[in-house]
Amino acid sequence: MNTPPPAVPAEEPVVIEVERPWREAWRMFRQNTAAVAGLVTLTLIVLVTVLGPFVYPVDPFAPTGPLLLPPGEQGFLLGTDQQGRDLVVGLLYGSQSTLMVGAAAAAITITIGILFGALAGFYRGWVEEVLMRITEFFQVLPPLLLAMVVVLLFSPSIYSISIAIGVVSWTSTARLVRAEFLRLRELDFVKAERAIGARNARIIWTIILPNAAPPLIVSAALSVGVAILFEAGLAFLQLSDPNVMSWGYLISVNRPQILEAWWPVTFPGLAIFITVLSVSLIGDGLNDAFNPKLRQR
Amino acid sequence: MLRNSGLLALTAAVALGAATAVAADTPKKGGTLVLVSSQVPRHFNPAVQSGIATMAPGAHIFATLVRADANWKLHPYLAKSWTTSADGKSVTFKLRTDAKFHDGKPVTSADVKFSIETQKANHPFKTSLGAVADVETPDSHTVVVKLKNPHPALTLAMSTSIVPIIPKHVYGDGQNPKTHPRNIKNVVGSGAYILKEYKRAQYILLERNPNYFLKGRPYMDRIIYRIIRDSSSRTIAMEQGDGHMYPFMSEVAAIARLKKSDKLVVTDKGYAGIGPNTWLAFNTKEGPTADVRVRRAIAYAIDRKFITGQLHRGVSTASTGPIVPGSPFYTKDVETYDVNLKKAEALLEEAGHKKKDDGTRLELTIDYLPAVQDVQQRIAEYARGQLKKIGIKVTVRNSPDFPTWAKRISNWQFDMTMDLPFNWGDPVIGVHRSYLCNNIKKGVIWSNTQQYCNPEVDKILAAAGQETDPAKRRALYVKFQQILAQELPVYWIAVLPYHTAYNKDLGGPPVGIWGIVSPMDDIYWKKQPK
Repeated sequence: MNTPPPAVPAEEPVVIEVERPWREAWRMFRQNTAAVAGLVTLTLIVLVTVLGPFVYPVDPFAPTGPLLLPPGEQGFLLGTDQQGRDLVVGLLYGSQSTLMVGAAAAAITITIGILFGALAGFYRGWVEEVLMRITEFFQVLPPLLLAMVVVLLFSPSIYSISIAIGVVSWTSTARLVRAEFLRLRELDFVKAERAIGARNARIIWTIILPNAAPPLIVSAALSVGVAILFEAGLAFLQLSDPNVMSWGYLISVNRPQILEAWWPVTFPGLAIFITVLSVSLIGDGLNDAFNPKLRQR
Repeated sequence: MLRNSGLLALTAAVALGAATAVAADTPKKGGTLVLVSSQVPRHFNPAVQSGIATMAPGAHIFATLVRADANWKLHPYLAKSWTTSADGKSVTFKLRTDAKFHDGKPVTSADVKFSIETQKANHPFKTSLGAVADVETPDSHTVVVKLKNPHPALTLAMSTSIVPIIPKHVYGDGQNPKTHPRNIKNVVGSGAYILKEYKRAQYILLERNPNYFLKGRPYMDRIIYRIIRDSSSRTIAMEQGDGHMYPFMSEVAAIARLKKSDKLVVTDKGYAGIGPNTWLAFNTKEGPTADVRVRRAIAYAIDRKFITGQLHRGVSTASTGPIVPGSPFYTKDVETYDVNLKKAEALLEEAGHKKKDDGTRLELTIDYLPAVQDVQQRIAEYARGQLKKIGIKVTVRNSPDFPTWAKRISNWQFDMTMDLPFNWGDPVIGVHRSYLCNNIKKGVIWSNTQQYCNPEVDKILAAAGQETDPAKRRALYVKFQQILAQELPVYWIAVLPYHTAYNKDLGGPPVGIWGIVSPMDDIYWKKQPK
């Protein structure tokens, strides 16, 4: 019973095995079947988008068959649209711009959101007043209407559409980031940084922001889905770039024929539905993963 | 072949018999005609406003001096007879003496003089009465129109609501006729129907004029224009029988769909006078399209047969020149540019546009009018695909609204654009404007925005506009069409597939050259709808 305590080498510190937060999140995420299904689907969509044009190098606008051919006839798996274009090709090439608009708009949303939220939440005072009033101003404008105005101002192109969507959807991100900053700036480790004389920029970007990342990632994932829906909505209102194939464009040009031919509208619609659904599932999964306590509740 | 023609003759005889039988079937009085329309009129005075929205109801409310049938023949209406002097510079109209306005006052020569002067001063179709120098009224029912130069288009312009007869005692009170309050309320004309009610953007209610000067007419008790903005809703209204007539239908899918209905007749008759031409216009002054060889190459690459047969599913007809088929001045004896991609590439080569490594020779933009998708955006997109085949990289420019497009085109900031100007009956009214040197007006849409200028064409048009001998006049216009088809300031593609769908129980449908832009006093129900 008098065994001596095991010898601890003085030069080696004690290592307590704590799972790293990111690894823990990934473990939680993997346990969520729906989220994994979403991730697999989205990965497939991205793969098809990237590889499709190499496998099938054709002009997506070139008519290749008779007009409005029903699915499955004459070798056209999904049929043709009102200009005689193969819908498989249209969907393949359309995903490119749809995903690009989604990603670009989400990037704009996150960038503006972080900038506004971080500065307002960190500095408080008049900076917060000004930035939050601007945010509120954008919040009360109807987003679709504002996006339409922006697209009309710069004439519809893939760039103006991405910018328009980004410009109308950054407000919630800004408020989220601000709330996180308000919470974190009072915590001890931030105070410690301040005490040792770190500059504000360092505190904002390298101390607080990484700790505010989890909710931001969730919000970014969800805003990709919103942006894709927005792009389709604008295209439905004929506000799409006519030189770039996109799912929304396919729906918009084929809509007048919907009473006669359901397929040129239905398939792009389904593609949008599946993509947005998988993005949302991933977002939900991330949310649960980063907030394990919330999940257990 | 012989047997066939015999059969044909037999069929014709049977059809003729049937026609006589129908004619013997006397029109019945009574009933309501419901038209479905997308057009929202600003007001109802076509003397100062063009556009179908005003002109169609305006033609039912206001009588005109003459009227036209389906064969471009003119018939007496408010005028009993008319004669043109030998030099063509004076036209005398004898008016009916029994015609009265809706408020009971007689229609006199003073009203006609006032109408012509008001129209000339205010109407956008400047050339319709531009040649009028003076109007004399020797007595209360005689009108002498004095012209600066012979103007053979005069009576045709007077056969529809381009020149309506409006009452002087109402509109001659000194107020601006363009904003006159009576243009929209208490509108007084002498036509077959009286405006009873207009609910903006909802409906127009017209009631039978009991004191109409053509005894026994009109047959309908009332005409209602139901204004429905969405085209699918209009189609469904027709299918369900809520609407009895759907004029100016241009959506290919809707036409195809309604043609299948056994309750409806769908016809493309009734638009010969309006003459809606769809074309691809070129900037002939700047950029690669200033070279006629490039324009011809583009023409050789675009297949009219594919557009009319496939994109429009056979409901539109090809247009081969500035004057639409259906006009008495039309000729098909012009260069038609049947699709030939080799020839197109050779022409581009000749014009100095060599193939680059990526297969392109040059880049162009194409605009289109943001309306009537089937004849604008769809053709523009088809053209992009075809031109790619001959090495022209085309960027489609989408205009969000009409003013954006009009501003670009009228300020000549374009390479190519789709457009759909109307002929409006006589070439003097709707055709000349697009090709005359002196109508190159920056900032004015539907002027000569191609900036095409050929003094020889100007000379031919000036002569044709004044030629009173129909055969000589036609010869001049044939020459004009041939020169233009060679020089291609625009590449004419198709006549807009305007169709009218109407209930098959209707008799006397509006199939004249002006379609529903006519009195509509001869339409009736063979059998009242349920």
